[in-house]
Amino acid sequence: MMLRALSADFLKIRGKGLWLLIVIAPVGLVAMQALNFGLRYDFLTKLYAKDLWGGLLDNILRFVPIALFMGATLVSSLIAGVEHQLSSWKQLLALPISRTAVFSAKYTITVLLLAVSCVLLSIGSAVLGIALGFPTELPYSDLARIGLYPFIASLPLLALQLWLSLTFRNQALSVSLGIAMAFGSIFTGNLGEFCPLNWPLLTVEGKHQGVFLGAGLGLGLLIMLIGLLHFNRKDVA
Amino acid sequence: MNEFVIRTHNLTKKYHDRAAVNSLNLSIGRGEIYGFLGPNGAGKTTTIRMLLGLIRPTSGKVEIFGKDLQKDRLNILKKVGSLVEYPSYYGHLSAVENLEAIRRILNLPKSRIAEVLDIVSLTKEARRSVKGYSLGMKQRLGIASALLGSPELLILDEPTNGLDPSGIQEIRELIKRMPKEHGITVLVSSHLLSEVELMAGSVGIIAQGRMVFQDTIEHLQHQASSTIEMTVSEPEAAVWIARDSGLTGQLQEGRIHFDGLSNTQVAGLVRRLVENKHDIYRVEEKRKSLEDIFMQIVGTGGSL
Repeated sequence: MMLRALSADFLKIRGKGLWLLIVIAPVGLVAMQALNFGLRYDFLTKLYAKDLWGGLLDNILRFVPIALFMGATLVSSLIAGVEHQLSSWKQLLALPISRTAVFSAKYTITVLLLAVSCVLLSIGSAVLGIALGFPTELPYSDLARIGLYPFIASLPLLALQLWLSLTFRNQALSVSLGIAMAFGSIFTGNLGEFCPLNWPLLTVEGKHQGVFLGAGLGLGLLIMLIGLLHFNRKDVA
Repeated sequence: MNEFVIRTHNLTKKYHDRAAVNSLNLSIGRGEIYGFLGPNGAGKTTTIRMLLGLIRPTSGKVEIFGKDLQKDRLNILKKVGSLVEYPSYYGHLSAVENLEAIRRILNLPKSRIAEVLDIVSLTKEARRSVKGYSLGMKQRLGIASALLGSPELLILDEPTNGLDPSGIQEIRELIKRMPKEHGITVLVSSHLLSEVELMAGSVGIIAQGRMVFQDTIEHLQHQASSTIEMTVSEPEAAVWIARDSGLTGQLQEGRIHFDGLSNTQVAGLVRRLVENKHDIYRVEEKRKSLEDIFMQIVGTGGSL
């Protein structure tokens, strides 16, 4: 039943600019580094002479958490907006489909869209490295990690954003909170490892990568379940 | 009317102690068109949302097709089509795509889309994006969406709201065809009695969350009995003559009013008055309109 709702959701996001957003975000991140490395090619290749790929990925990684947080916020809001815009909830939820299926489909489509973005980021990073003439032995696992790990660690924020966006018709609340958290994440570095906004970076660098992946998955699941319970019980206006 | 499609038992919904719907007992028989009437804010939409499981009743029970809505929601909703207030649609999609989004959830054959578009005569416009539709077309698309799952029960909340007269008539004809051609029971809500009168067999009138009248439309029309109004030369004396022949009339502003006189009674009274040398200037029949009765039932508390 969830798959049927999901297939309907894929139809509904046609022409909403979501796919554009999904492609533009990773392309933008890679383009920024193309500019960075293009302008200071000699300086940076000397700086990272020992590990060119590592230097490039590290530069990209700096911007991954903020991009993920923004992405989760905007995609959640756009997905929810499709139903809010013309109060389609009353029609959708009066169909013979469980609310759990509806909610799970929304969650799945949001995760899938962002996952596409992350895969594109890994591919884009590889393409940029090759274009910059870096060694042809690609660091596949590092490339995959930069796309996947921070994404998993940002699932709690995604679950929170989706829940808020689905609950409140007015998207100003969820979007401003999401953007505040995205920009805030630049300054929360010294709040320590317990602040979930720091987790995306900690899954790639630092000693306990596995712990933060697990924490991201766990907290993400927990928030999603709370959101689901609430969605199942709430009155539809 | 032997089998009930919808029955509610003391259905109540409270918002912060204020009862939007109060102990409502609704019963709708199979194959009927049931008009659900009430002024704005009387609790019609709240009731309909409870019937569809969109909001939870504070207390009371909804039974549809003899099953408990709380327990059997998904099975019941498979046989229910609904349109709640203004139509819901995805403006950036065409009519076909809108129906396709619902079809995917209902898991029906694709041919159903063309069928329902044909029923609401939208086939020609089906490929256009819905944004550019007129309100009447959007409303018809809403009905098409409601019909998609071949429902046995159609719940339409104010389907003619905001439409122009020709749009209203189109929707009305569409609704009237449902029980005849498709065997569908229809619940249609409205705040206009005149409109419901033209299609419904039974009516329920709700005011301030309570059911104040529930019966057939004939019964309601029966209450709209006529009064005979007479203007004569000597009204005071005429009232006594009438009373003499067993008819009680009220004197108002020099005119005499009688309730529910038959033709023979009128003829007899006129003859006696003439025999007693009264001049009769006017004998008029004043029919109470259904709107008057509606207003009388609903009271002045409503926001009509």
